[in-house]
Amino acid sequence: MAFAAISTAFIALFLFGLALLIAREINLVIEQVTGNVEVAVYLSDPVRPDTVARLEDELSKLGAVDTVTYEDKQQACERAQKLFESNPAIIENVSCDVYPASLRITLKDTSLYQQIPAALSCETDATGRISCGEPGVMEVRDYRDILDRLSAITRVLRNGVLFVAIIMLVSATVLIANTLRMGMFARRKEIGIMRLVGATNWRIRVPFLIEGMVEALVGAGLAIVTLFLGKVFLVDQLRTQILWFPLIRNSDVLAVAPLILIAAAGVALVAGTLGIRRFLEV
Amino acid sequence: MISLQNVTKTYKNGVTALDDVSIEIEKGEFVFVVGPSGSGKSTTLRLLLREEEPSSGEVYVAGKNVERLSALGGIPKLRRNIGCVFQDFKLLQDKTVFENVSFALEVIGKPKHVIDGRVPEILEYVGLGEKLNNYPDELSGGEQQRVSIARACVNRPLVLLADEPTGNLDPNTSVDIMRLLDKVNKIGTTVVMATHDQAIVDAMRKRVIELDKGKIVRDQSRGVYS
Repeated sequence: MAFAAISTAFIALFLFGLALLIAREINLVIEQVTGNVEVAVYLSDPVRPDTVARLEDELSKLGAVDTVTYEDKQQACERAQKLFESNPAIIENVSCDVYPASLRITLKDTSLYQQIPAALSCETDATGRISCGEPGVMEVRDYRDILDRLSAITRVLRNGVLFVAIIMLVSATVLIANTLRMGMFARRKEIGIMRLVGATNWRIRVPFLIEGMVEALVGAGLAIVTLFLGKVFLVDQLRTQILWFPLIRNSDVLAVAPLILIAAAGVALVAGTLGIRRFLEV
Repeated sequence: MISLQNVTKTYKNGVTALDDVSIEIEKGEFVFVVGPSGSGKSTTLRLLLREEEPSSGEVYVAGKNVERLSALGGIPKLRRNIGCVFQDFKLLQDKTVFENVSFALEVIGKPKHVIDGRVPEILEYVGLGEKLNNYPDELSGGEQQRVSIARACVNRPLVLLADEPTGNLDPNTSVDIMRLLDKVNKIGTTVVMATHDQAIVDAMRKRVIELDKGKIVRDQSRGVYS
């Protein structure tokens, strides 16, 4: 029975951790591809500091805009090199000069996007490219669509796994509660005597609460180890084959571990209160 | 020491086990509660232990209204002042005589030196000084009941409740157990014993409270069974 409780706790906590890691992975991809920027205003060469200052000022005044950051050619190049870090052919063959400087904008309200091309007197041509009348501005690119799609994928994947994880967490709770209940049933004579001679409820409860806590935490430990192994044997294998996007690292698994432990403690706590209550009418 | 004031106990299934019962028991008394099955003897003992609450009326033990005690601290404290002995001994079969008695002290958090001092002392007192390391199934019924009396008394309770303590014993052994209970009573413990055993009640000449269908039909000092 304890074995059943531990294995369910393990599966539940594993899925819970998996959901968290999937969410992290996709955030990593979004971050890497777009830098969380929703709109980029690319500047034409040569970039003049006063143009940058003027545009920055102008764009910040718009209601739609949350933040504006200037990225010069050097930074753009570094970001690209990081993005293609595992593909040295691209880095070697593309000169840093081709990456344009840009103003990178996050939006307060994505639906007000049109304010930006309007302010820069831009027009969309037949191919969907946005070119602008404003001097010094080469192009405005709208990343909202990519961001939206990526976040939609994240949401679906993460919610799906989380949904399964929650169901598993509930069954783990019920199973642990049941194990505790059976443990108390097996020792009902002892518990009866304890109550009779005046042992406090806590004195009676604590060993069972510890048992539930141990079961949940063993499950959590196994889940964390399995996620680590999965990361080493699956994700790290992929790393040599998938070159164009970033993969989760050990630090991501490490960051998820405390959350798994907290979930385990929560499971044990609920299981404890559920499983023990019935046997303790004084 | 014990006071029931106009106590009525009706169980959820509608059975009235006690009907407007008032009893006063002084410190150091020895009282038999007699009556046929279902007359309310066991209910009376359960009320004193606060295993049940009265439907109406009040129950006082050692000056405390047991209904007002909290489950967290008050009830356990009450039970530490009450020793219990049962017909079926309620010993743990996987523990030795010593462990059965020490268990009662361990679970209320007594330190080891207290346990090591008191347990052999009380087992000597009940006449089992030689059998500390035997298991219950190696003992006779009378000896097992002595272990359970030792367990009930090891924490020096004010009250000893005995529910048919001789119910499973032959007449000679029963007499020995009664001598032991009398000895416990002589050192100041209030003893309340529910029983069917006519011979014992008649021989002891103690106070007898007779219940029938939840009512007191007789309360007689130095009484006989009926």
